[in-house]
Amino acid sequence: MISLPDYNAMSDADFRQTVRSFVEENYPDIPRHTLSRLHWEDVKPWYLILSKHGWICPTWQREHGGMGLTAGKHLILIEEFERYGCARVNDIGPVMLGPLLLKYGTQAQKAFFLPRILSGEHIWAQGYSEPGAGSDLAAVRCEAVLDGRDWVINGQKTWTTLGMDANWIFILVRTDKTVRKQAGISFLLVPMDAPGVTIRNIENLELEAEFCEVFFDDVRVPADHILGEVNQGWTAAKALLGHERVFIGAPRLSASAMSRLNRIALRAGVWDDPVFRDRYVALQCDVLDLTDLFEIYVDKLRGGEDIGADVAMLKIFQSELYQRISELMMEVAEEDSGLRHPPEGDRQLHAAATYLSARPTTIFGGSTEIMRNVLAKAVLDLPS
Amino acid sequence: MSESDTEDWQENARMIVDSARAIVPADGSLSRVRKARFHGSGFDREVMRQAADLGWMLMRVEEDAGGLGLGMRETCALMEVLGGGLVPEPVLSSLMAAAVLQERLPEAVLTGEAVIVTAWQDKVGAQDWRGGASGGRLLGRKYNVPGAADADFFAVVTGGGVAVVPRGAEGLTVTSEETLDGGRTGLLTFDGVEAEFLPCERVEQVLQDARLAHSAYLLGLSERALTITLDYLRVRKQFDKPIGSFQSLQHRATEMKIRLELARAAISATARRFDTGADERTRSRDAARCKLRAGELAMLVAREAVQMHGAMGITDEADIGLFVRKAISEANLFGGPRQQRASLAALLDQEEAA
Repeated sequence: MISLPDYNAMSDADFRQTVRSFVEENYPDIPRHTLSRLHWEDVKPWYLILSKHGWICPTWQREHGGMGLTAGKHLILIEEFERYGCARVNDIGPVMLGPLLLKYGTQAQKAFFLPRILSGEHIWAQGYSEPGAGSDLAAVRCEAVLDGRDWVINGQKTWTTLGMDANWIFILVRTDKTVRKQAGISFLLVPMDAPGVTIRNIENLELEAEFCEVFFDDVRVPADHILGEVNQGWTAAKALLGHERVFIGAPRLSASAMSRLNRIALRAGVWDDPVFRDRYVALQCDVLDLTDLFEIYVDKLRGGEDIGADVAMLKIFQSELYQRISELMMEVAEEDSGLRHPPEGDRQLHAAATYLSARPTTIFGGSTEIMRNVLAKAVLDLPS
Repeated sequence: MSESDTEDWQENARMIVDSARAIVPADGSLSRVRKARFHGSGFDREVMRQAADLGWMLMRVEEDAGGLGLGMRETCALMEVLGGGLVPEPVLSSLMAAAVLQERLPEAVLTGEAVIVTAWQDKVGAQDWRGGASGGRLLGRKYNVPGAADADFFAVVTGGGVAVVPRGAEGLTVTSEETLDGGRTGLLTFDGVEAEFLPCERVEQVLQDARLAHSAYLLGLSERALTITLDYLRVRKQFDKPIGSFQSLQHRATEMKIRLELARAAISATARRFDTGADERTRSRDAARCKLRAGELAMLVAREAVQMHGAMGITDEADIGLFVRKAISEANLFGGPRQQRASLAALLDQEEAA
């Protein structure tokens, strides 16, 4: 295992400089500042470089091959990656499954899967949503039945982000139909090359195949491919959402959209227009206020405090703000907003690209409407 | 900033908030506030005396000028409580006078015998304060002076310095008009009033502090109005269900809550930055955005509160109406949203020129 310095012992400024130098020295010859996700074949060099230096799993404990970063240091890492425009890797393994394995996995599962996530041998996808189970995730119908030593899986997953790049998928399946819907769900780990697994790509609004459907037709996996106890999958699924919600609410998407808005306005010749400025500064205040709110949650993470349901406020405001910024971009770009390809070949100047890429943010990870239902009950204590 | 500093301000803020309980009833009763509306000066001198007794007049006076030298975090904590209680007394305007005058604050104000308020505004709808001094005398007008109807002294801020003017000064005419919340706002007209002008370098800073402190008052007001509205949503039944179970109202309530927490985060982070040393650009930008956020918040919560209270919301009998009227009277003080956005746009120009 690679021996890393104790990054948490560094000052924030020193760590920031360390990350900055690392990125400048090591980022491969692949696109930067992309609005949509890169596929595995394009982003693989970056994954492998991060892997080689022991930087692929920033939040895992050091004894498991991670960097062991505190939430505060992790945020600095994200900020510096973002600043340089590093492409996002296929990070479901490092970000989502890894922490679950560490919490619920058997010794054998940890020993088998963790090193393969670290090395990039296993690229994971997350199989949660189904055609009939989106916001109402606990309604999953994809089912698994124990037959001898195997689970036999039948059903469908959908909106599986970068599922076509993955060679493993973890799925929520129904293992008991006779109980309350949340109480009959289990977590299974499935190789994508198992007989009976079929993938169909879905083109999104940006005409890119970022997600896909995954079909399971009498797919057999060994009984020990279950993560956690049978029928305890819902608890594990919810545990995933804890800290990640804070990062979904981070102001970085909105902040980088503001700098694109700035460029689009300059190009359109409206930067000095007082009507534009009035709206621009209002959005700028929204980004700054969001940053102040975000810092409160980062401080909580730093102090090891639990993050409550109220973190949904960050996610709602961030995603709606990102959309409002993109809407002003469209107004400013005027007729050019309707062009299919970026003006001057520069994606940063393409208002419609931001507009379309901002759409899913109020849908995935809990739609705004569901988040508001949760807030109303859990935070405002309003009746059902 | 050391750990002990953090604890110090938190302890100070706790003590000040506790002391405010002498003025803002812990049970949330608004009967004093309701009774004080629409007669006399619109505020109670006895409450101002209490405020002086509690040491508030010394909060924003530096320690080496004989004051307590407390920061904006403590000041905002106090203003938030006063806003929650809709306190009509001109506390903020007195604190501003103390901050401007420092060791020259009249003794009678410290003992609570006299009330001093600040007169700074040259023009309605603008943040200009440099007018009013001409040839060593006061000349012209100062608008929107809170508590003017019964104040004993005015700290008159001008480009030529600050002057302490007693109410009865020759050439000073004090008039006042009723405000929507039941208080009064003053207009001072100076017809060549003789005055001693004391040099003052910190007027712009005091105005930034006031913008922030007033945002905290609006935050307190909004939070209490939201609490009252949520209580109502839980108990009011229609169609055999509490109306708070209806999704359309729930979603609008969450929007108020999000806006409220953004205001709270911005105000507390800004107060911390002010206390730990922020450059001039950060100070003017952050004061403006707090005021923008808080002004819009108060008006949002006010109109949603009326709607969610249904017909009760449009009666004068329901306490929620007190919040609505206060929000309307206060939200545009120290600059409404349009002015704040204009000053933020001006900062953008400065950045480009730099």
